[in-house]
Amino acid sequence: MMAAAAPPDRLAMSVPATIAEAIGLEMARDPTILCIGEDIGRAGGVFGATAGLQQRFGPDRVVDTPIAEMAFAGMAVGLAQAGMRPLVEIMFADFIGVCLEQVFNAAAKIPTMSGGRVRMPVVYKTAGGCIGSAAQHSQCLWGLFAHLPGLKVVAPCNPHDHKGLMAAALRSDDPVVYIEHKALLLMKGRDFRHHPAVPDGAFTVPIGRAAVVRPGSDVTLATLSLSVEHALEAAGTLAAEGISVEVVDLRSVVPLDADTVAGSAARTGRLLVVDEDYLSFGLSAELTLRVIERLGLSGLRQVERLALPDVPIPAARTLEEAVMPGPAAIMARLRQMAKGR
Amino acid sequence: MYPIWRLSRDGRGVRDMAGTTALPDAAAAAATGLVRLRRMAAMRAFDETCLEALRRGAIHGELHVGIGQEAVGAGMAEALRPEDAVVSTHRNHFHALAKGVDARALLAEICERATGLCGGFGGHMHPFDPATGFSATGIVGASLPVALGYAHAFRLRGQAAVAVGVTGDGGAHSGAFHETLVIAGARRLPLVVLVENNGLAISVPFDAITPTKTVAERAPAWGATGLHVDGTDVDAVAGAFARAMEHARGGGGPVILEATCHRFRGHFEGDPEGYRSRAERQHLRERHDPIALCRARLEAAGLAPATLDAILSEEKTRARAMLADVLADPLPDPSEARRHVFTETP
Ligand SMILES: Cc1ncc(C[n+]2csc(CCOP(=O)(O)OP(=O)(O)O)c2C)c(N)n1
Repeated sequence: MMAAAAPPDRLAMSVPATIAEAIGLEMARDPTILCIGEDIGRAGGVFGATAGLQQRFGPDRVVDTPIAEMAFAGMAVGLAQAGMRPLVEIMFADFIGVCLEQVFNAAAKIPTMSGGRVRMPVVYKTAGGCIGSAAQHSQCLWGLFAHLPGLKVVAPCNPHDHKGLMAAALRSDDPVVYIEHKALLLMKGRDFRHHPAVPDGAFTVPIGRAAVVRPGSDVTLATLSLSVEHALEAAGTLAAEGISVEVVDLRSVVPLDADTVAGSAARTGRLLVVDEDYLSFGLSAELTLRVIERLGLSGLRQVERLALPDVPIPAARTLEEAVMPGPAAIMARLRQMAKGR
Repeated sequence: MYPIWRLSRDGRGVRDMAGTTALPDAAAAAATGLVRLRRMAAMRAFDETCLEALRRGAIHGELHVGIGQEAVGAGMAEALRPEDAVVSTHRNHFHALAKGVDARALLAEICERATGLCGGFGGHMHPFDPATGFSATGIVGASLPVALGYAHAFRLRGQAAVAVGVTGDGGAHSGAFHETLVIAGARRLPLVVLVENNGLAISVPFDAITPTKTVAERAPAWGATGLHVDGTDVDAVAGAFARAMEHARGGGGPVILEATCHRFRGHFEGDPEGYRSRAERQHLRERHDPIALCRARLEAAGLAPATLDAILSEEKTRARAMLADVLADPLPDPSEARRHVFTETP
């Protein structure tokens, strides 16, 4: 009798391995899916999020490209029009600057411009977030993508959601920008404060549904991506001080699940939105207003937002820490809010 | 008489401006050789010092060093004039030193100090020095359009200055490369595009990803002059770079100068380098080290080994002392973080 293969040790699995698993399952299921990007094939991705896929599916379905983002971001549009379902990796979100044209003028608009005749099942997968490396290698930019109509924008935190949202993105007939956080890509399952078990097989997490990842009664804290872990750290510390924080992981920016946030804020009366993206004209303002639209101007006792002030991210650690909304800044803001209880 | 640069092995399609120069007398050649060796030694010592700074926790972001590529940086130094501009890449330290950027200020910037070239705001990928006409970018290919801007400004103001845009072989595949050369070629602007071809863009080998054997051979498409040089031979690079600068300065239009070289370390510090073996790396260090090649040539020309060794160790000592000095400098004051940008947010 053959011994059953041991199930993968999920807690020891890295986030990139989880993503690669999701892509592999979808590629095996659907032969129209292919991956295109720099260093994704032979090297398996700079973080390993496509590890092993080229060996499995060959160099024509896991395509290593030159540094020619405009060409391959647009190639995805043509592939989609030709009936394929491409996933494009833009290594870091910042690099979207050289190929935004194909993302926002083509992929995002063609479903509408074609009067609904052309679908655009394209995933633009990219790593955002700050782990050092200054102004050109640290941005999240989900607010930018969200501002451009026609794109779904997801930014998972825990390994379960990385896997399920990747599968959902690959099954979406609309273009999806899938934003990883570099710090999360360096983590394993067991490093997470909140890590729902990751099923071995294929599953999807519906795009556009937030999750309450820690219940609480004094303040609602809504955020996404790495900041969810920061929020949980802050909430854990503050619990010992008698401050009860409910943490909501938004999981996507478009669609934005304001209903879940409003439901929570209606109970706590206080809302804090934490965003590692720029403060102005972004997620924090949009979410706050949508909650107010739902609860009315008198529906909340307090609304605050904590985000990257509108400055390019400086290189030196001392300067970077002064602008990033990390756990300490979150705790300080929550304490301040709790004083008004 | 000896050729001052080499064409690619087959030489196909590469336009050769090959001139020859009179063989300098032995004493002058030795003096030049020693200067070049010292420049390369200083560059390597500088980057080794950056590695040490990283080990000591003084750098918290990505670090890309140029160890193995010193002949390109040192080869640029002689023909660059103060009024010229250099726009470099994520792997920019040697180009900065070649342009005359103050080494201490550069190291302080890399080490995130308040005394750095940009006060700690730019970091290792983004050093800016208006005083010497040096700048860089962390976005691949993005150096070239900026160099184009300098070239147009020089022409407009009637200056006999040249803009040098540096890119790796990877950057040569970007749209920006093509777009820059279309404009520069049509307007015959004083632009030298220096392609530092180390054969790899992170993990992707040049010959696995490009339709032509070299970048330089594409030059005719833009009305540019293409040159190819062995970028591990500092004398060859110095000669080729001087020719390229002369050509562009004299109104001959843009030049693509491709220098073939090798990166000894990972793409960035921490790169697991799964794409090449330890033996391959060892081979590069043993057979293609520009410093060892230069040193051997000088020794063969009769220079005392002790003199040559002294140069290498002096530069190491100098760099170590500089690091110790820099690490005593203050870190930037957090309250300054928003100082240089127009922002309304509190
Ligand atoms: C537009 C853009 N795409 C991708 C990257 C990520 N990246 C940084 S360096 C690099 C490889 C560059 O290769 P090359 O131009 O040959 O220079 P080298 O690193 O070999 O010096 C890549 C892909 C980037 N910085 N910018």
